[in-house]
Amino acid sequence: MTDISEKPESQLWAREGFREDPYITAETLEEAGDAPAVILPLAVWLGLDETVRNATNRRIGVSVAPGESIDPLLPLLGSIPVIALQFPAFNDGRSYSKAEVLKDRHQFQGELRAVGDVLIDQVAYMLRTGFDTLKVTHAVTLTRLADHNLHDTPVYYQPGRGSHTKAGNYSWRRVPDTQ
Amino acid sequence: MYRYDEFDHAFVSARVEQFKDQVERRLAGELTEEQFRPLRLMNGVYLQLHAYMLRVAIPYGTLSARQMRKLAHIARTYDRGYGHFTTRQNLQYNWPALKDMPKVLDELAEVEMHALQTSGNCIRNVTADHFAGAAADEIADPRPYAEILRQWSSMHPEFSYLPRKFKIAVTGAERDRAAIQVHDIGLHLKKNEAGEIGFAVYVGGGQGRTPMVAKKIRDFLPVEDLLTYTTAIMRVYNLNGRRDNKYKARIKILVHETGTEELTRQVEIEWLALKNSDLKLPQTDVDAIDSYFRPPHLPQRPEGWSALASARKADHAFAAWVDQNVTPHKNPDYGVVTISLKPIGGIPGDATDAQMDLVADIAEQFSQDEIRVSHEQNLILPHVAIADLRIVYDLLLTDGLATANAGLITDIISCPGLDYCALATARSIPVAQRISERFADPARQADIGELKLKISGCINACGHHHVGHIGILGVEKKGEELYQISLGGSGDEICTIGDITGRGFSSEEIVDAIETIVDRYLEVRTDKEETFLAAYRRLGAAPFKDALYSEAANAA
Ligand code: HEM
Ligand code: SF4
Repeated sequence: MTDISEKPESQLWAREGFREDPYITAETLEEAGDAPAVILPLAVWLGLDETVRNATNRRIGVSVAPGESIDPLLPLLGSIPVIALQFPAFNDGRSYSKAEVLKDRHQFQGELRAVGDVLIDQVAYMLRTGFDTLKVTHAVTLTRLADHNLHDTPVYYQPGRGSHTKAGNYSWRRVPDTQ
Repeated sequence: MYRYDEFDHAFVSARVEQFKDQVERRLAGELTEEQFRPLRLMNGVYLQLHAYMLRVAIPYGTLSARQMRKLAHIARTYDRGYGHFTTRQNLQYNWPALKDMPKVLDELAEVEMHALQTSGNCIRNVTADHFAGAAADEIADPRPYAEILRQWSSMHPEFSYLPRKFKIAVTGAERDRAAIQVHDIGLHLKKNEAGEIGFAVYVGGGQGRTPMVAKKIRDFLPVEDLLTYTTAIMRVYNLNGRRDNKYKARIKILVHETGTEELTRQVEIEWLALKNSDLKLPQTDVDAIDSYFRPPHLPQRPEGWSALASARKADHAFAAWVDQNVTPHKNPDYGVVTISLKPIGGIPGDATDAQMDLVADIAEQFSQDEIRVSHEQNLILPHVAIADLRIVYDLLLTDGLATANAGLITDIISCPGLDYCALATARSIPVAQRISERFADPARQADIGELKLKISGCINACGHHHVGHIGILGVEKKGEELYQISLGGSGDEICTIGDITGRGFSSEEIVDAIETIVDRYLEVRTDKEETFLAAYRRLGAAPFKDALYSEAANAA
């Protein structure tokens, strides 16, 4: 079984800190056995019967590769508990745009998760484009996150999650919500 | 000029602190070169053939005297006494030590400068017409919009890991001096019938190994939509640009493969959803940024004209310099002065610390404290009274800065090539130097007239050879340097990519080949009014190829 979530070094992180990850990752529903929460590849998820997707006894999330379109998910967003957008390499930036579209335009209410090559230098960008959680394996990144050292800037030149406008600033500028 | 406020200061100093920490970790061996690489690139630090290179951002090429003095100081203290002004309106230092980088960045921050967004697959330093705010033919000053774009694109969370680097240029005049049609996005400020200001939007221009002229995807975009529309373009590119092959990753390839019509449709759909978002620009913000760029108060100096007439009569060399290097200003008592960084036989774009200090002094006294860097690797004094031209000329003359060749054949653009660049396949600076020497005679240059010669040391085309009236590309063939010639390129409002003439020329032959082309032009032009480019456009490549290859064949 290719279950990333069970690798001991991989941890789920959110702004509030590390948290338990209830999900396992599987290629098919069969492979997931009776796990109560599972993340499936996009094509498999789309192939599920609606009644299975909406079943109340388990949560079924979807994982989207950078080259895959999120369009088929848009009418179904209300029924998706978690969308995992993949970063196979840190410099593949496609998932940032999808995060913006999902959270900002379509008000996706479920958990938006970044998985893959999640590194400390990109954490701030991920949070600002709308990711709720990050699945982290990189050791230095884990240490930095544990220390709350996010490598962030004190101000931003663009709108983004976790920030607000401040009187007297230009319309595109933001300050972090903690200020 | 734009001045940092508290917000900008907080941002830049935080970035410098982060980079200091990273350099220290690298020097302590905690970071490998591999791990350090993306971090240093984000801060404009490259590893070149002999040393690290630092690229300093000069947003839309505008500098104050104080900033120029700081650049001189850094050249003197941390480098070998010179800096290199580039076609990206930036400055490069070729020899700084890594351990000094944090200090250099601190010094830059003192004068509101930095090296952010000068490399990596992000939105790079936004460039603009170097005559902005001064040129007589200007419709609106492009710099406020370049500044808004600069701020908005700084460490953009969505657009910092694009398929490839991204370059935006803005111009505010019909005469395009910013080469907007060979940029990823080109913005042309114009007025509509109602007299409102907006942009014609061009997308997908670029040079490199697949040169392309940008396509116009919108004829008039209202100013309030600048950031929403740019975001729409960036998002379509970020999602769909190719990432499988770095040579096909620029937006020009996406435009080409998708088709202009379809790409425009995608951008417009995305824009409809963004149009009324937080990024819609309020006029008050545009006005607030604009106020930094108010034209300086220029006192009336009508006495200049008679003084100029007599000074011209008395000194031929001065007259030639005025003719060639001074461009009309909005204010008839003033002129825009081009300081050539192309002395005969010199290295195009290099300036010593002393020269930078001198230019700073002159700018402070005679040009409202303003200096520009042009993408043609020259410096500009945008507001010089006609009455002061003589004294400015005399001052420039004291340190070899009064070469009267702006726009002429010796005003060569050249990339660093094999002398510095790790990617180079051939030398380019020595070729530029030899051509410059061959055409040194001012009378001959003046007779040839406007001719833009541009040289790159490899297919990446940093020297803009594709848009040179005459372009030279250095390649390597069987261990030898070989130079390909292209003709008829142009980076202005009628943008064209040059045509390759045929087989290349060796390092020994290349200068003769250029001379052959120029001599043929002099034979075939209708009169002195017909420039090289005009003659080429009228006649095509045939007469020039004929001259190049039949002569070579005869000689063989
Ligand atoms: C010395 C180190 C340099 C390196 C390693 C370097 C690298 C590159 C590369 C790889 C490209 C091709 C990008 C592509 O086609 O996607 C490129 C393009 C370019 N570079 Fe450089 N460059 C260097 C110096 C310079 C300098 C000194 C200038 C200015 C004189 C410059 C200005 C440009 C411009 C204008 C382009 C073409 C823009 C376009 O691709 O459309 N570069 N450079
Ligand atoms: S054109 Fe090639 S040789 Fe010249 S600077 Fe660019 S990468 Fe280097």
